[in-house]
Amino acid sequence: MALAATAVALLPLGYLLLRTAEGGLPAWWETVATERVARLATTSLLLALVVTLACLVIGVGSAWLVTRSDTPGRAPLAVLLALPLAVPSYVAAFTWVSVSDLWSGDPGARFEGFGAAALVLTLYTYPYVYLPVAAALARVDASQEEVARSLGCGPWRTLTTVTLPQVRPAIAGGGLLAALYVLADFGAVSILRLDTFTRAIFTALSSGFNRSMALTLATVLVLLTLAILGGEGRTRRAGARFSTAAVSRPAPALDLGPWRFVGTGVLTLVVITALGVPALSLARWIAAGSSAGQAWDRIGGAAWGSLSASLLGALLTVALALPVGLLAARHPGRLSALLERAAYLAHALPGVVVGLSLVFFGVTVALPLYQTTWLLALAYASLFLPLAVAAVASAAAQAPPSLEEAAQSLGTSPARVFTRVTLPLTLPGIGAGAALVFLTAMKELPATLLLRPTGMETLATRLWSATGIGRYAEAAPYALLLVALAALPTWVVVRRTGIVPADATGPRPARGVPRPADPAPTEPAVSP
Amino acid sequence: MIRVTRLALVGALLPMTLAACSPTEEQAPASEDTATEATDAADDSADEAAPESDGTLTLYSGRNEELVQPVLDDFTSETGIEVEVRYADTAAMAAQLLEEGENSPADAFLAQDAGALGAVSAEGLLEELPPETLDLVADTYQSADGTWVGLTGRSRVLAYNTGAVPEDELPASVQELTGPEWTGRVGVAPTNASFQSFVTAMRVLEGEDAAATWLEGLAANDPQIRERNGEIVADVDSGAIDVGLVNHYYVYELAEEQGVAPEELDVALHFFPDGDTGALVNISGLGLVGEQPDTDAQTLVDYLLSDAGQTYFVEQTSEYPMIEGLEGPAGLPALEELETPDIDLNDLEDLQTTIGMITEAGLL
Amino acid sequence: MPVTADAPRASRTSAGTHAVEVIGVGKSFGPVRALDHVDLHLDDGEFLAVLGPSGCGKTTLLRCLAGFERIDEGRLAVHGRAVALPGIHLPPHRRQVAVVPQEGALFPHLSVADNVGFGLPRRSPRTQRSRRVEECLELVGLTGLGRRMPHELSGGQQQRVALARALAPRPPLVLLDEPFSALDASLRVELRRDVRDALHADGATAILVTHDQGEALSMADQVAVMREGRVHQVATPEDVYAAPVDAWVASFVGEADLFPVPDAGAEGLVETPLGRVEVTGGVDDATHVLVRPEQVVLGGHGIPAQVRTVDFHGHDALVTLALDDGTLVHSRSGAHPPAVGTRVGLRVQGACRAVPGGLPGPAPAPTQ
Repeated sequence: MALAATAVALLPLGYLLLRTAEGGLPAWWETVATERVARLATTSLLLALVVTLACLVIGVGSAWLVTRSDTPGRAPLAVLLALPLAVPSYVAAFTWVSVSDLWSGDPGARFEGFGAAALVLTLYTYPYVYLPVAAALARVDASQEEVARSLGCGPWRTLTTVTLPQVRPAIAGGGLLAALYVLADFGAVSILRLDTFTRAIFTALSSGFNRSMALTLATVLVLLTLAILGGEGRTRRAGARFSTAAVSRPAPALDLGPWRFVGTGVLTLVVITALGVPALSLARWIAAGSSAGQAWDRIGGAAWGSLSASLLGALLTVALALPVGLLAARHPGRLSALLERAAYLAHALPGVVVGLSLVFFGVTVALPLYQTTWLLALAYASLFLPLAVAAVASAAAQAPPSLEEAAQSLGTSPARVFTRVTLPLTLPGIGAGAALVFLTAMKELPATLLLRPTGMETLATRLWSATGIGRYAEAAPYALLLVALAALPTWVVVRRTGIVPADATGPRPARGVPRPADPAPTEPAVSP
Repeated sequence: MIRVTRLALVGALLPMTLAACSPTEEQAPASEDTATEATDAADDSADEAAPESDGTLTLYSGRNEELVQPVLDDFTSETGIEVEVRYADTAAMAAQLLEEGENSPADAFLAQDAGALGAVSAEGLLEELPPETLDLVADTYQSADGTWVGLTGRSRVLAYNTGAVPEDELPASVQELTGPEWTGRVGVAPTNASFQSFVTAMRVLEGEDAAATWLEGLAANDPQIRERNGEIVADVDSGAIDVGLVNHYYVYELAEEQGVAPEELDVALHFFPDGDTGALVNISGLGLVGEQPDTDAQTLVDYLLSDAGQTYFVEQTSEYPMIEGLEGPAGLPALEELETPDIDLNDLEDLQTTIGMITEAGLL
Repeated sequence: MPVTADAPRASRTSAGTHAVEVIGVGKSFGPVRALDHVDLHLDDGEFLAVLGPSGCGKTTLLRCLAGFERIDEGRLAVHGRAVALPGIHLPPHRRQVAVVPQEGALFPHLSVADNVGFGLPRRSPRTQRSRRVEECLELVGLTGLGRRMPHELSGGQQQRVALARALAPRPPLVLLDEPFSALDASLRVELRRDVRDALHADGATAILVTHDQGEALSMADQVAVMREGRVHQVATPEDVYAAPVDAWVASFVGEADLFPVPDAGAEGLVETPLGRVEVTGGVDDATHVLVRPEQVVLGGHGIPAQVRTVDFHGHDALVTLALDDGTLVHSRSGAHPPAVGTRVGLRVQGACRAVPGGLPGPAPAPTQ
């Protein structure tokens, strides 16, 4: 099962190899070994590096402020900070560009290039770090920190030497997702005019109809991904999978004194820049344009298309992620690690490449499924499997093996143990993973365009359609609804991670016992 | 031991997922049917008379839904033939057609530019059109091998801000735009297929070196680079850019979005005179994909090239008609009056080299 | 109840003699020999404690019995039915061996009553189920708490629920895996007694795995002392304490001072640093004489010694003394131990046991 699930993630890779092999290795090398490819690789990696570092600073910083300090307003901020995840990068970039005239004195000056791309990508990618780190911080055992303090460590040293190392898997996993997201992103870099690999792939496809060139470039992207996976893997340490199973005493919030208002200020600034700019821009579109009314009669159908395709995609992805995630959590070893890592490979590929590979797969292998929602769901599974695998793996840790053993010793068959013990305990965490896949699938555009059933509309395709001929006022309602619908699962994810401070979610559990209805902490990024 | 339980879970999920996707499934079989019938029909028909209409056809449209759907609705009410349309980006759609090959569910491909049609045709995926269809359209605007035909014409123009550029200062040729008086004032969209076709035309008409020199000159002249033609027109209108190289109809899109008449905008069109490359007329066009199961797709081609179909594009998208006897869009010079460069669109297939040159010049 | 193909034949060979049989069981993890020819027998309703230091293999034995691990050699039988032979492994849920895990492992999403009823047959009538659940809760002293959720219980209550859950289906064997190790000392004593009583009241056959000798000695009918994968001794708590089979068991179970005897197998009056003591039960290869602290009486006369340390326990105290030659001796004194540094005389009261075995094993677990 786990092998089959990973095979789905590797579909695009197989397609790439097949197509590249048609040209032969010399041709591949000739295309790849050029100055342009080297430049693209440098830009892409540099962008990934800068954005990832910035995401780590914002993500870890805000996670700490929200979960471990007495920053005023941290409960609503905890939710708001995750919301930028609901904004598709192409909407974000486009709205940033379209309001740049407000603060730029020179009307010819453009909001574009490396800095702009890094800023926009950071603002909408940091939740990948923020969510798992905040979830992990919320579960850190206070006693370890108290020991450190009693041994003479100041708050800062305790944070860096005791607290952060405990949540390092979450930090590394979140950073990995952010880095891969940046590598795969096309929307922001194309609108902000930064020449990266994904943009070169699209250009090769769109202007030269040159598939082999595009796919060859994509193979280089895969190699870059492998390098990043390898680098991230080295920062991890084995073990401690089940160490978080028993809920420990929650650590008290640190009194920041007058600085706590600075904390609120900084977090509010992040939220306002990330969410305020698109909101402002969309408002201007609606005010300035005349086509807004045209959206309303079709928005229902598009919303239904988005919801149904994304829901099916999320369910399929989670179903495929279950074996991989459980294997990774329960039987850590070479094979499970390999399978889990493999799930990440397609994650850094641009949607159009994954879409094309599924077109190929559909036409050659699964013709009856071609241009049905099923194949679209399969594409979502290919693209977003890592998000679900990480959620399942960390949720599985929530149902420690001792519970399953106890159930078995009482004469319960493995199937019943799964349905009566494992599933109820892991379901909230798996649900959070599904929510994450769901909202990401809602935002997806290129693969959706290629694979949706003929005639089916989603909010993303309508948005694309309207902006394609400059009807921004018509586009705005689609964008708003898309963000609003994506915000709901984001909120679910936030709730399930247990980030929202205790006073906002009810009484803390007794010590040493997992909470019964406790949302399994989701770390959308942690693998062994 | 865990295997059983996983299957159980998947089984438990299936009913939910079935429920979730039911509305879209209604549509899915339609396209499958079309695909299977296409092959069945091909086997049966041999070289008999074309089979009867089955009342439905699948169109891949690389043109925007807002621009195309109304005329397709007209077609359906006129002929009773339902059109299943897929909308996507022209280039991605061409790649998809190439990937689908023989198995494509598509009956017809409506593309934003000749290059995409050429790429699909080069793989032998487009059927030759009947002579009656080809005769309707000038040779310049159709494929040499008769596999695609132009549907609408769009002219390259210089959009200019009427406040920033007096008419007497407008350039007579795109060549002038590399001069110092235009430094920092010219908007271009180098990733756009229309710009790339235009540069290809320059290569064909004036030679590789001249094109390369022009690109370098443009790149050195601090151009205002945008992703889309529409952005250039909007920025010219707002005064952020003085002039921009675009297709002519974007001004009309902007006017419609702002709810004003085109004349009220601060952006106006300048057609380059004397057969300058900058006045290239390109097309959006149509081809039939694979062996046709029936006459429905041809009926669509006929309709789009009829007076009714062509009038729609003239009036609604402000493009030039491809058939004789129709007037061009109101307020624009007639197609025959344009001093277009003397070039065959079939010669513009080599976009690859063009992209290389644009990249080389640092514009991409 | 489905059984493995070989089970009927296997069960004939050992029919009915013991409730639980562990015969020649071996289990290795790579190069580590976790179980080395372990033999154990339990009669119906008997309570056996497996006692040993950490890493001695006792938990492995429990996991093999429960079916969580496979055995390499030997056989395991429960109620005359073979549950494990090399290559044959009855899965845990078919063994009817209920486990009370270390941390209780209550299902956090189920109420106390649902936890207790978890192992009851699904088709049994509702009233019958709830009656048994109530009965088991009463057995462990938690009557009326069935509707609580696990996190609303204290640690001790959670362990009681875990025991009730294990007892509810009336399994032929209950395994307790260090069930008190996470509890406060004061709770532990009370809970031990209650658990023992509940097991007895329900007539359950049980095996307790523990490293705590106080726990083993106070609760079990029989104690099996394990070390490095082997069972050194199986006997009643009294015998294990009074008549350990070797020096290691002697020093692991309870406080012990061991003095070499001049001649192996000596009996009668033997010369030791504590003077002449009466030695009994010596076997041929006995090399040491075992003196328990309570046999060392402090008084005016006797061997002179100086008090080094006093571990005061309230009801008594453990006094460590140094003889003039530096030999350390322990004595359990009354509630008024001598002050540190004072010189006292000591003598040995009663007969002492001679045991074989060289140096004592790893440091024994601290005694309470």
